[in-house]
Amino acid sequence: MFHIAVSLFSKTKSLENKIDLFHDKLLDASMTFKKAVRVYLTEQRSDEYRKLSKQIKQIEHDADNLRRDIENRLYSQNLLPDLRADVLHLVENLDKVINHFDEVTYKFFIERPDIPEEYHGRINELCDQTAECAENMAKASRAFFRDLSSVRDYSQKVYFIEHESDLSSGRLRTAIFDSDIPLANKLQLSNFINDIADIADIAEDFIDELLIFTIKRDI
Amino acid sequence: MDLSFFLFLSSGLFLGWSLGASDASNVFGTAVGTKMVKFRTAAIISSIFVILGAVFAGSGASQTLGTLGAVNTLPGAFMTALAAALTIYWMVKLSMPISTSQAIVGAIIGWNFFAGKETDIAVLGKIVSTWVVCPLLSGILAILLYQGVKAAIRHSHLHLIRQDCYTRIGLILAGAFGAYALGANNIANVMGVFVTSSPLHGVILPGGFSLSAVQVLFLIGGIAISIGVATYSHRVINTVGNGIMKMSPVMALVVVISQSLVLFLFASQSLQHFLLSHNLPALPLVPVSSSQAVIGAVMGIGIAKGGRELNWGILGRIGLSWIATPIIAALVCYISLFFLQNVFNQTVFLS
Repeated sequence: MFHIAVSLFSKTKSLENKIDLFHDKLLDASMTFKKAVRVYLTEQRSDEYRKLSKQIKQIEHDADNLRRDIENRLYSQNLLPDLRADVLHLVENLDKVINHFDEVTYKFFIERPDIPEEYHGRINELCDQTAECAENMAKASRAFFRDLSSVRDYSQKVYFIEHESDLSSGRLRTAIFDSDIPLANKLQLSNFINDIADIADIAEDFIDELLIFTIKRDI
Repeated sequence: MDLSFFLFLSSGLFLGWSLGASDASNVFGTAVGTKMVKFRTAAIISSIFVILGAVFAGSGASQTLGTLGAVNTLPGAFMTALAAALTIYWMVKLSMPISTSQAIVGAIIGWNFFAGKETDIAVLGKIVSTWVVCPLLSGILAILLYQGVKAAIRHSHLHLIRQDCYTRIGLILAGAFGAYALGANNIANVMGVFVTSSPLHGVILPGGFSLSAVQVLFLIGGIAISIGVATYSHRVINTVGNGIMKMSPVMALVVVISQSLVLFLFASQSLQHFLLSHNLPALPLVPVSSSQAVIGAVMGIGIAKGGRELNWGILGRIGLSWIATPIIAALVCYISLFFLQNVFNQTVFLS
């Protein structure tokens, strides 16, 4: 009996750690993304940028492994029978954001867009906003597992920052299309801006679902 | 020992089997329904603890039933138990929240009438009052526990996975306690009427353990309940688990603890002695309905959650069963005793 209890607790602890680690990966991806875009704007496809891009790829790979492991354990150990589907959904959506960070960073590496210096500040601002959205999304999700009362606080931040990022991306695209740069460049930059702003949109959708799951999880 | 004893005991065993199949489901129904505990685990634990409760703590509630009516011949006891079993069968068909206790009390009163014995109104009043108190107390306990657990979860910041682990362990422990309390409280329903007429003797087990004659009788009844749990409770467990109200595992835990505590309060002689020795009011030791305790607990949680999901109609059905079950059981018992005495020439009472 004692052995069974110890094994149950150690399995529980290990899964808790994996879920925490998975959230850490999202925070890592978000911070690395912010740094990578800053490096790209000053150095373009430098060795430093290449290193950061690889770093995000590695984070994305580790997060995928963690996600699979969490999903397997939830099912094989028959944990959270009432909330399992919700938790799997949350984990998959968090993973989507990490994938998105990786895709955008890699896209910069492949397409090497030419970004006029006058837009650097606004692009940095947009990246900061999307990264902040993702970070608050990770915090809200962590709170779902540990401290339900904080979920709302972080969710509100995500809603606010996502709205700000919508305004920023709109202003930036308007400025780009009002400029004299070639249309091909305009379209390419607009695409990049959309990709970056999408991360905040995914975070907002995630929060909508998380708030519903929070009501369900409240005993 | 006469073989006819086992023939007459068969109605009690059938009652035990049906109690195992239906009432025992109340203990683990919510746990199995929320998929937190496997049916197999639930069946093994409840079988063991029902027997332990019946043998080691079953005498309190059974003495109260004995004071209501001491059925003093085996054929009489047989028919009393059978009348209760038939009433239960009929009421289950009508989907009433049936209580074995109410059926057996009605049947005993039917025997009292037939035998011309006086029914002790004070004892009857005490028993009937527990029918109202049982779901009420279970509901109040559930509200208090629900609020307590909710506050504890909110302040402890337990990880969801850890909470799941604790809830699972809690459900198994509370279920074992519930099965023990059910055995202790409800064995009186199954074997109570046979206590006076039983020809069984006490036995000494290897290792110095000894069982009195009543404990041997309760052991047989406990085994009948366990067989009911193992063979037929799966379907009922699913109904209890999913039928009344959609419940989270933590709510399931609150329900199991509340109803187990109520059954225990109405069964524990040591608790009664403790309360009386400290000049505190003690609850009478009376077999109560585990189904109604569960319904009380679920209603309690419903009220604690704001009362929006509650089906108040079920309260009316419980109230109706308080009246209908004992009356039907008494009538069935009276008529059956008449046939047993006059058609089969059996002595159904000693004057």
